[in-house]
Amino acid sequence: MQLMQIRAYWRQARLLLGVLACYLLGGCAPVILVDAEFPQPLVEPLPVRIGLLLNEELLAYEYIERIPQQASYTIRIGNANALMMNRLFQPMFAAVESVDDLPLAQPGSSRIDGVLIPELERYEFDVPIGMQDEFVEVWMQYLLRLYEPNGELITEWPISGYGKSELTKTSDRVNAISRATVLAMREVGAVIATKFAEQPEIEYWLQER
Amino acid sequence: MRPYYSKKRLSIIRAMAPRTYLLALISLGILCGCSVTSRLEPYKQTDAVLGEDDRVVILPRRHHASHEAERSFVDCVSNGLAQGNEGLGVHISTVFEDRLYPWFEPSTAPLSIDDFSELLKKPGVHEQVRLSKVRFIIWLDGSTDRVASGGAISCAASPFGAGCMGLAWWEDDARYDATIWDIRDLSSAGTIYADYNGRSVVPALIIPIPLIARPQAQACRGLTEQLKQFLTTPGGYEPGPELSAN
Repeated sequence: MQLMQIRAYWRQARLLLGVLACYLLGGCAPVILVDAEFPQPLVEPLPVRIGLLLNEELLAYEYIERIPQQASYTIRIGNANALMMNRLFQPMFAAVESVDDLPLAQPGSSRIDGVLIPELERYEFDVPIGMQDEFVEVWMQYLLRLYEPNGELITEWPISGYGKSELTKTSDRVNAISRATVLAMREVGAVIATKFAEQPEIEYWLQER
Repeated sequence: MRPYYSKKRLSIIRAMAPRTYLLALISLGILCGCSVTSRLEPYKQTDAVLGEDDRVVILPRRHHASHEAERSFVDCVSNGLAQGNEGLGVHISTVFEDRLYPWFEPSTAPLSIDDFSELLKKPGVHEQVRLSKVRFIIWLDGSTDRVASGGAISCAASPFGAGCMGLAWWEDDARYDATIWDIRDLSSAGTIYADYNGRSVVPALIIPIPLIARPQAQACRGLTEQLKQFLTTPGGYEPGPELSAN
């Protein structure tokens, strides 16, 4: 009789531990949709007309990582990529047009001076394991390629960003990853907005216009 | 005999109870109260004060990733300055950063008042700063870190009951620097250094009793009070260290 009672207690304890572990891991397999309002940069527009090609890979970017003894994270950044790129490039140039293909259909008669194709090359994140770690960290690396309208590559420029977000009572792992990703993207945007014209090949290309 | 012993024991307990409770309360008070020591060093080098329509913005220094001020701490100081009968005009830091994007991101934020003067020359920046009505920028640098910990608590459970035994402790150090820029006069108005050290103890005798010190919360309160004084007192703001042990 006592043995049966102990078994019943054990079953209840196992169930409780399972539920608790799932809860602590943020639902076991969290899907994080990174979404934010990105501000437009306060910069003087460069006197060139740019075609912006946001390919399917960037717009549907999804990062999946399984962290041992924790959970499997799926981070969807495609929507945020589209929002950031459109807000970022509009004030940076005299005109920005969306383009679907490169080389452009009629490069000679086009009013576009160059075509930009951004790519998200690397995404990494770190979530706290111990009780003492309080921050989620995110590293991102984009590659920005600038082409002539005829498809000739002018330059490619890697840009890195880092974001860090605190775990608080109101911000769990999922929220903290999303916020750290947005901070890393803002950092990338800040570098692009302030350093674009200073890249040697781009500086030379701008002087030729 | 039995009723006599029971009565005697009861009377002893009754006689001891107020003293025991008092002793327990004093011990708790000592344990809790003595667990935080603080040091505040304010230094003001101008007579500038916040005008009626002026605002202040609190921004975390984020150019070094290892020990940037926590967003929750920045919010705590911002809310502390804005609240109360003598609340000051506080601009929301994220709105200020968005308004002046990309010039207040970790890699682009001005590190000195001279850098800020240069930044004002960029197109649109001066206008946005003017529209924000911000007179003082307060840069918060620092963090709360665990500097020591020790002890252990063992817990055991069985179908008939559970209990813990032992003692655990840890020490947190909240160190923050507030650097105040007067962006109307384009000068550095002063600094306030706050260091709060708190030791938490969890004794466990069947039930763990957490006696938690919150140096970060106390640092927030202390720094907020000093900043209020700094921003509203034109003269007579005595520089120098303020030491206390609560």
